[in-house]
Amino acid sequence: MSTKINLVLLALLVACGLALVNSQYQARHLFIELERLQQRARQLDIDWAQLQLDQSTLGKNARIEQIARTDLDMAPLTPERTQYLTQGEK
Amino acid sequence: MKRGANGSTGSRVAASKGISFTTSPVLAVRLPSWRSRVVLFVLFVAFAVLGVRALWLQGVSNEFLQKQGKSRYERTIELPATRGKIMDRNGQVLALSMPVKAVWAIPEDVLKSPPQKLRALAGLLDMSDAELRKKLDSDRTFVYLKRQVEMDVIEKIAKLDIEGIDTRKEYKRFYPQGEVMTHMVGFTNVEDAGQESMELAQQKTLVGTTGSRRVIKDRLGHIVEDIGLGKEPHDGKNLTLSVDSKIQYIAFTQLKAAVEKFKAKAGGAVVLDVHTGEVLALANYPSYNPNDRSKLTGAQLRNRVMTDTFEPGSTLKPFTVALAMDSGRVTPNTRIDTGSGRFTIADRTISDTKGHGVISVAQVIEMSSNIGTSKIALSMPSQEMWEMFTKVGFGQAPKFGFPGAVAGRVRPYKSWRPIEQATMSYGNGISVSLIQLARAYMMFARDGDTIPLSFQRVDELPPAQQVIKPKTAQAMREMLESVVSGEHGTAKQAQVAGYRVGGKTGTAYKVENGKYAMPRKYIGSFVGMAPMSSPRFIIAVMIDEPTTLAHFGGQVAAPTFAALAANALRAMNIPPDSAVTEIVVPADAEAEAM
Repeated sequence: MSTKINLVLLALLVACGLALVNSQYQARHLFIELERLQQRARQLDIDWAQLQLDQSTLGKNARIEQIARTDLDMAPLTPERTQYLTQGEK
Repeated sequence: MKRGANGSTGSRVAASKGISFTTSPVLAVRLPSWRSRVVLFVLFVAFAVLGVRALWLQGVSNEFLQKQGKSRYERTIELPATRGKIMDRNGQVLALSMPVKAVWAIPEDVLKSPPQKLRALAGLLDMSDAELRKKLDSDRTFVYLKRQVEMDVIEKIAKLDIEGIDTRKEYKRFYPQGEVMTHMVGFTNVEDAGQESMELAQQKTLVGTTGSRRVIKDRLGHIVEDIGLGKEPHDGKNLTLSVDSKIQYIAFTQLKAAVEKFKAKAGGAVVLDVHTGEVLALANYPSYNPNDRSKLTGAQLRNRVMTDTFEPGSTLKPFTVALAMDSGRVTPNTRIDTGSGRFTIADRTISDTKGHGVISVAQVIEMSSNIGTSKIALSMPSQEMWEMFTKVGFGQAPKFGFPGAVAGRVRPYKSWRPIEQATMSYGNGISVSLIQLARAYMMFARDGDTIPLSFQRVDELPPAQQVIKPKTAQAMREMLESVVSGEHGTAKQAQVAGYRVGGKTGTAYKVENGKYAMPRKYIGSFVGMAPMSSPRFIIAVMIDEPTTLAHFGGQVAAPTFAALAANALRAMNIPPDSAVTEIVVPADAEAEAM
């Protein structure tokens, strides 16, 4: 009787041991994946900041005005040259 | 052989006949029995000591060894926090931190490398070979070669593969809007600490807290496990300013044009949102590029709008008149005799540009009569005037949350002599900053109440404080409009096509070392609002020491106001509130007093 119990317990022990090995292995794998993704998130954050910076630099009012004036031959709008329409008026 | 065999047989026989080895009496040693017990005891004690020691190390005093063990495989990694971004009210980035690296060297090791490599390094670091060698000529083991080097350069330096060169991660702050926005945003130093303006004022919220984490590293240096004793890093909070990039740009370019046109020393302009108290633009000229501060001078750094006080001159008249109207002493139609243009109090004489004769209170403002304002002021107790100045913020420590903002100076009313009360009513003998002046005009633009200014975007309106009656504010707005569009107005050049605008000019002599500067130096100013039908902006412009063409506020500051207002109104899509007509400004616009 006691031999049987011992055998069952031994089998259980071995199974538990293997399960531990397996879960540890999986944990390491997932951890490495997590690290990799976090690194990527950081890189994307940096890229986003760079793009925001570029947007702000390229969208500078001074640059827009200069391009509009010289390259596109545009002139500022003045009220004298504007036809204002009001909704509901004849 | 035979003998040998016999011999051996014989000895075996003899042994078997004798006694066994263990009981051989020859070998029996006569020793006292306690000796063996002593040995046994000593051995037992030795084992016991080992046991106790093992127990001690394992169970009781185990910290030290565990720590030593951990330090063999555990590492603490610093997690840096990024400084918060600064954005304008529409989310456009005004300041942003990017990771860069500092290049440092161990001079002894670096100097061993071949000269052509060092030359290449100097080239990459943007310095001459001699400069680099001067830096390396040091006894120290750690020398910064250059800080805040951008990543692409770092990669090239790494490719040179020079021994003794290493890098350290840090951040560099970029200001894409450059000189246009710098007096609003400020800048940080190489240690990422705010030095000026909002970068300094909001240092605590902008700066993050660095974190750390404990990890287990394997032989190759890869992180294999997080032990979870870390501290999360917290990035700095982003800051959304009240400033509008478009209006700021308009203000800066118009101000720059004016300062250059009148060959002035400097200038300042500020635009406020009447409804929310937000500062939409704050421009100073001369300015500087915050991305390259190597040639920065004090004059460029100076935030004149906030930190310079000046005698405002006539821009202060509306406050005296508003007080008199609010207390029922005068109405806009009350007649006041300004005489021939000269008025003597005690031994001092106040003068107007010319004799206006008997004019109404409204005309006192329109023509900017010093005598008229003085007479109104002298009909009131000095305490009431002082209270009015204090209520609108003059002489009060500003609560803007902006570094360097000054209080200006209003002397206690008990020491006012009549002549001083008179001159103060038209803005002499009192000093204010441009932002205080703009904020004070808020009560005219709103219906007699003021709200606190904000440099950050306002989502919830702050409670307003009533200063004068709504009716008084309305009447004052009409007078301010007549200054610009009236027949005798002093600020005809402030007119804007398509919009009704109003405001008040001011010209003051500059005070240097406690006296009026000789020869005369002027500050021309204009504070106004637009559109008059429902004021949206308060715009204040100040031109410091104009030297050519003109020096009156109506001539130097008013046109700048007009250009600024016209562009800002258009940029904000505010519909025109007056018939669109071509404005003809008379060539010799009326001069104003002082």
